[in-house]
Amino acid sequence: MAPHIRIEDVRKVYRSGKDEVEAVSSVSFAVQAGEFVAILGPSGCGKSTLLMMCAGLEPVTSGTISIDGAAVTAPRARVGVMFQDSTLLPWKTTLENILFPVRIQKRPLAEYRDRAHDLIRMVGLSGFENTKPHQLSGGMRQRVAICRALITDPDILLMDEPFSALDAMTRDEMNDALLDIWERYRKTGLFVTHSIREAVYLADRVLVMTRRPATIVEDLKIPFDRPRDHSIGESVQFNEICAHLRSLIEHRQSPAPARSAAA
Amino acid sequence: MKRLHPAIARCEGLSTFGLPIGLGVFILVAWQVIVRRAAVPQVILPAPTDILLSFDGILGVLAHHAWASGSESFVAFILAAILGATVAILLSMSKLVYEAIYPHMVLFQLIPKIALAPLFTFWLGIAAPSRLTYATFISFFPVALAMMTGLARADANALRLCRAVGANHWQTFFAVQIPYSLPYFFSGLKIAATMAVIGIVVGEFISAKEGLGYYILYAGSRGETAHIFAAMIVLCAIGLLLYGVTVMAERIMQAWWRG
Repeated sequence: MAPHIRIEDVRKVYRSGKDEVEAVSSVSFAVQAGEFVAILGPSGCGKSTLLMMCAGLEPVTSGTISIDGAAVTAPRARVGVMFQDSTLLPWKTTLENILFPVRIQKRPLAEYRDRAHDLIRMVGLSGFENTKPHQLSGGMRQRVAICRALITDPDILLMDEPFSALDAMTRDEMNDALLDIWERYRKTGLFVTHSIREAVYLADRVLVMTRRPATIVEDLKIPFDRPRDHSIGESVQFNEICAHLRSLIEHRQSPAPARSAAA
Repeated sequence: MKRLHPAIARCEGLSTFGLPIGLGVFILVAWQVIVRRAAVPQVILPAPTDILLSFDGILGVLAHHAWASGSESFVAFILAAILGATVAILLSMSKLVYEAIYPHMVLFQLIPKIALAPLFTFWLGIAAPSRLTYATFISFFPVALAMMTGLARADANALRLCRAVGANHWQTFFAVQIPYSLPYFFSGLKIAATMAVIGIVVGEFISAKEGLGYYILYAGSRGETAHIFAAMIVLCAIGLLLYGVTVMAERIMQAWWRG
């Protein structure tokens, strides 16, 4: 089967004056349809840039990213994106925020309203349909953002550290909520994170990205069956995988030249 | 924040209103006492009680002139709001036009525009259109500049969201940029509310047969200093009213924004 997302020798170089910074250097991997892949790496390793290029929000410097065999050059309707910040419009209610992509893409609102209510129930926000964002907690706002990313029923969900701004407990809750959604809707998922446990808990495969070079150094299959719950976090195997990933990241970190600390 | 003892918290509440009111009363009393003790002639500086008493007998005249100035200020203010928003939106549509014109607008802000007032009499005559145009002219700048800043400063994440869901230029503009510019628009309007009154009064100084600006000159020519102060108090009331209307509209906008 042809992969759903294919990333081939992708580079991203930022130029400012004479300086060149290589944010992503020759990354290649493929994601199969229905697969959940986590990209794990330290902050500043270019993993978010890579995701933004997949979303068509950043151009690639060289190489190609293709979805269903077609090169990504602009954002596309079949892809839902979640950002680190929930990016809810403060003057819109939960329901209006979720229906924002529907309104922009001029799809029939009435049809999607039922779906929005389903999603709201699914993420446990029933009763908050007409609430504005500032009255919601950080976790609730990210739940609204998940619903908004899923409202048009995309095939692919791209998530850029969506839970990194939340406290540890809310983050665990959100991971479970995401797993539930995953069981139900089965999208192709690309999830960027700097949390090792989060990556192992959620993903079918974990790709490890380092800062220097900004490329993928490990592609690890996670052997746990779905549906998953928190008990797997206590298993020896889970912790061995985490230790292995941590050693990869730390090993690559240590010999970095002094000036990378400022990056 | 440090928790305050309830008794002190009550004092805090008192001080937000009590202190300014207390100071105001103190100044008025001091003014009264000094003017009386030093026997300052009324033409130079009337005492507060003289000003208060001077209202008696000119209330009808003041109301007539207040209506003239107030209604013109209001019209100029509304025109400035519409013109300011329109100019800001038009200029923000094209990056080229924006970059060409924005620095000029900022420079233009530096001109003491009061010096241009007589020109408007040359161009538009001595009747209301000249005053209205001048008042609109000086009060639309703060609105336009504030709103342009607001349009340019829409939340970067929200703009990225628009791109991600495939919004076109216009959709992004109306769905995100305009709402994000509204708080800026209102801060511009609050400046415009005072500028509109200034513009009308200056216009009336130059050419008018009625209005508080005209009345102040008239009273001045007759040495009725207390009447000048009386007219000024009415002008303040007009300015406050315009400002108050703006703040109320702003509250409504904020309620929509944040629910």
